[in-house]
Amino acid sequence: MTRFGRRGWALVAAGLAGALTISGCSGQSLEGGNDKAADGQITLKVNFWGDMGLDKLKAAYEKDHPNVKIVLNSGEYNAQHEDLQKKLVAGSGAPDISAVDEGFIVQFRGQSDKFVNLLDKGAGSYESKYLPWKWQQSMSKDGQQIGLGTDVGGLAMCYRTDLFKAAGLPTDRTEVSKLWTTWDDFINVGKQYVSKTKKKFVDSGTNMFNPVLAQQPQGFYNEQEQLQMDGGPKVAFDVSMNAIKAGLSANLASFQPNWDQGFKKDQFAVLACPAWMLGHIQDTAPEQKGKWDIATIPGGGGNWGGSWWTIPKQGKNVDEAYKFVEWMIQPQQQIEVFKTVGNLPSQPALYKDPAVLDYKKEFMSNAPTGQIFASTAENLKPQYLGKKNGPTRVAVENVITRVQQGSLSPDKAWPEAVKQAEKAAGS
Amino acid sequence: MSLTRNAPPVLDIPEPRPPATPPKHKLWFYRFDTKRTPYVFISPFFLLFAVFGLFPIIFNGVVALRNWRLDDPDLNGWAGFANFERLVHDEDFWNALGNTFGIFILSTVPQLLIALMVANLLNRKLRGTTFWRVGVLLPYVTPVAASTLVFAVFFSRDNGMANWLLSLVGFNDMNNPLDWRAYKWSSWIAIATMVNWKWIGYNALLYLSAMQSIPKDVYEAAAVDGAGPWRQLWRITVPMIQPVLVFTVVLSSIGGLQLFNEPMLFEENPAAATGGSDSQWQTIAQLIYKVGWKDLDLGYAAAMSWALFLIILIVAGINAFLTNRLGGGRR
Repeated sequence: MTRFGRRGWALVAAGLAGALTISGCSGQSLEGGNDKAADGQITLKVNFWGDMGLDKLKAAYEKDHPNVKIVLNSGEYNAQHEDLQKKLVAGSGAPDISAVDEGFIVQFRGQSDKFVNLLDKGAGSYESKYLPWKWQQSMSKDGQQIGLGTDVGGLAMCYRTDLFKAAGLPTDRTEVSKLWTTWDDFINVGKQYVSKTKKKFVDSGTNMFNPVLAQQPQGFYNEQEQLQMDGGPKVAFDVSMNAIKAGLSANLASFQPNWDQGFKKDQFAVLACPAWMLGHIQDTAPEQKGKWDIATIPGGGGNWGGSWWTIPKQGKNVDEAYKFVEWMIQPQQQIEVFKTVGNLPSQPALYKDPAVLDYKKEFMSNAPTGQIFASTAENLKPQYLGKKNGPTRVAVENVITRVQQGSLSPDKAWPEAVKQAEKAAGS
Repeated sequence: MSLTRNAPPVLDIPEPRPPATPPKHKLWFYRFDTKRTPYVFISPFFLLFAVFGLFPIIFNGVVALRNWRLDDPDLNGWAGFANFERLVHDEDFWNALGNTFGIFILSTVPQLLIALMVANLLNRKLRGTTFWRVGVLLPYVTPVAASTLVFAVFFSRDNGMANWLLSLVGFNDMNNPLDWRAYKWSSWIAIATMVNWKWIGYNALLYLSAMQSIPKDVYEAAAVDGAGPWRQLWRITVPMIQPVLVFTVVLSSIGGLQLFNEPMLFEENPAAATGGSDSQWQTIAQLIYKVGWKDLDLGYAAAMSWALFLIILIVAGINAFLTNRLGGGRR
């Protein structure tokens, strides 16, 4: 009996110790991943979403720096940002380097104390190389720079030449660009297409709303963080309603499986294309190589998306992390990324670089993507994006989706959109 | 047999020693062993529960009484019951509560009834009993994320099998397919289907194990008295497995009100957590996630989760009471 008792104690102790080790370790070893090993080996964990063209860069950097190992972790767009936010609050577990998108940069620059101030590391010398607004967007109010820009969106319109041909529309990119100088023209072309082919023209009403909003001088919020629905949002909303009423929308939610299916099943013929969209088209429907081309977008320039590299303070190897980030934003690497996935650099000097300017994207019928996007990016007047820009956009997009689903009439949609946006602004 | 007989030789049996009093420390240990050791053995659960269960619950209660916004570190301090007051006037919360109950009823009631039928069938003499019993448990073993993703495709608008099946029986037009995510009723049915699919087999096996302990002669007697199978099920089986019934009702009440994975993954953009374009199927658990991690308002999210906790307590209590009454109220 006594022995049993002792064994019992031992079991209990072992069990508890086991439980504690499991719970104690997991936070560190599984998520940090930046412990210095005995041989001076350093692991840098990089979080981002989609395809940022890092695979080749990683290999090249590791070859030149044998003591550095880079772990690429691509996740879902929203999930990555939310995860970063959680880890910042928790105080540990954040990656060494994290990409942050335009839609979230305001939220994170408000927490600049949790990021490495890159100016301390000497990033100030890059200021003159960047588009001024790109440099400002990641700057906190008290003058700390939390990120170095990777890419900017720029806007263009991608279209399927084979589907255009079948509908009796021109297929040459200059002629197509001439078809639509305004969004009304665009909707008229769409009507022609729909009546000819009995297919839908655009993927969704929300992908009409977003580019039009990006072209407006003001987005959802003014710089005092007040919701301004009657300006840009109203213009963009009306365009999307007109497109839906004209029966152009296939009602496919962006970046979701049905949307990806829609590419393959020819469910739409045009797609608003920021530079980063090219990578997605290429990855989603590789068999459509040569069937896409790029025309100008109605209504002129505008910016949609674009990211920064940030370094959370809690990392153990912030110096090594900065070295890698600094290397990634050098012209040579930026051009490499541009060629692999299409992301347009945010340093205007590169727009004049022959490597960008003369580059023709084979997948997109050899469209000169460098010229197309560089010209829109240079003329950009960026919008101020409020802290609540993300949720507000989701709220308005949901209203557009309801109209497409038929559960809300287009005439009643605007008041509803205002109501939902106000709710999101106050959440 | 002679009367004179020698007495049997007295064997040299050692006198049974009086129980030796063990040394004092051993006695102490013996008492300790019998009285206290059981507590030591069950303590790991309680220790772990205190660390990983109780502490978060209490901490959550504290957070519920505070302002805590991740996007605005200055907003940090005691809020009193402000979060709970806000809850009462929050139409999103009531909408989510309605959705949760709607889906809960659509899933729990058919789930338990069908499980009862399945268990009743499995309780008969069948060929390949084990095959069938393992078979009904398979959905339960499937990871919920995997099965839900399959169902999300099944109920998709353009290429979904559900619409195809409906069109076969003439309820649906393939040129104008039903958008399952567009309306409350259709999205509720879709989600309830996922829940039912997963849990019917699990509950059926619980019922089956209880049914196996019912003596066969009860049924024989009932059959002699002229009770058909249906009557036997309701008059004998159900009352006799009542404790298990109460157990499953309470468990599925808790599970149903905490529903999260299925509605999250049913969404086209799972990260949005809005439960459809008009929050058609946003459950409370989903709303808590949204308020906490999308709106970054942790204090309010904590208040919501406490409200959910209380609602679950009440509903589980009512359900246990009603189920008890169903069986005649003997317990």
